[in-house]
Amino acid sequence: MSQKVQQIQLVGRKIRQLRKDHKLTQVELSQRLGIQQSDLSRMEQGEYRVSLDTLFRILAEFKMSMGEFFEEIAEESIKPRDVRLIQDFNTLPEDAQREVEDFIAFKQTQRRRSGEDSDE
Amino acid sequence: MSEGNVDGVRSVFEELRSGGAHAVEAGRLEEAADLFERALDWAQEHGDARQVDLALCNRAAVAIELGGGEGDLPRLREILMRNSDPYNYLAAYNIARHYELAKSFKKALFYARIARDRSAAIGRREWLAGSHNLIGNNLLAESLIKEACAEYEQALDLMPTEPTVWRARILDNIGYCRVLQGRHREGYGYLYQSLRLLRRFAAERYEISTRLDLCFAHLETGRHEHAWKHGQTALSLAERMGEADSVKNALYLLGEVENLRGNVERARSHFSRLQREYFPDASYLPGFLLAVDVRKLINLHA
Repeated sequence: MSQKVQQIQLVGRKIRQLRKDHKLTQVELSQRLGIQQSDLSRMEQGEYRVSLDTLFRILAEFKMSMGEFFEEIAEESIKPRDVRLIQDFNTLPEDAQREVEDFIAFKQTQRRRSGEDSDE
Repeated sequence: MSEGNVDGVRSVFEELRSGGAHAVEAGRLEEAADLFERALDWAQEHGDARQVDLALCNRAAVAIELGGGEGDLPRLREILMRNSDPYNYLAAYNIARHYELAKSFKKALFYARIARDRSAAIGRREWLAGSHNLIGNNLLAESLIKEACAEYEQALDLMPTEPTVWRARILDNIGYCRVLQGRHREGYGYLYQSLRLLRRFAAERYEISTRLDLCFAHLETGRHEHAWKHGQTALSLAERMGEADSVKNALYLLGEVENLRGNVERARSHFSRLQREYFPDASYLPGFLLAVDVRKLINLHA
């Protein structure tokens, strides 16, 4: 499963968990957010992208402080170090990016081989 | 009224309508609103009932685009109920567009599908294309990306192949869908085609959406300089045209660009402005957006 899909699903799970913590049904929460219950259901299943307005309505509804909402998500998906690495990688010219990819492939092969050796 | 007079009146009426249509095409909506209002006045004074309906549909279409048109809805519904009248396509389309802009996407879909069926029944390809595009917009707003893209592709197939602003808007929509689907190369192709057309016609109002989508596409592929350039142009245009939703999206995207480039203070400045101007109660917003990358959650077309 791609990281993108995973991340959206984690957000959906978080919304469902918060809704249940607040003892709200999907109908009640969707009414408060001014959206349809079927949309909230899809949001909880990670199938729904929202406008900025809707995202901040959800956060306001749960009176969330910064980071609280995404604490779990940040732990389970991309960490700041990963983001930095991707940013650095993207600043490299194409041939340098290929060299980095080759080096990663080399290290992975090396690691696999050492695993095979230790299995023997 | 003599026959000569009738022709004269029709010609004034058609001239006003044609001027209005050109102004719409170029995104000069205030000018279009004025011309259609004058066409309606002419129709009410000299024209027949069908001309009045037509002028009213045209005026309502522009009023809706400018964020109004609420008062025209009962008349539009009345026109829609008259099944034999081809202008009821326009009424259905305008009602759908009203609900789309009010973010009632399911209602908008309902009326957009009526518009599609009516335009198919009378065999007007350009109206049918418009309906498919409108259905696509509302499916996209509902995150039904694949289905939306299929509608946009049908719209594009039905459009005349010559370059038009309409064509550019459909290309933008398909491009954005492709970027969301991770098909970036195709997405860029559509988005840059759209931008070239819009610039050729100096259709700045419509350029905003394509620029925002290009900003997002470049952000997704790590080309931060290009993302910044398109985001900045979109912001300037949106501010000048008073397009609040686009200003919001531009500030968010520019904040995200600066954040990913490591310019935390510039990012904070964009996010703070977003919070101050549009979400005054959400004081946590700048810090939240600095800490959390919400790109995968956001739909710029919702």
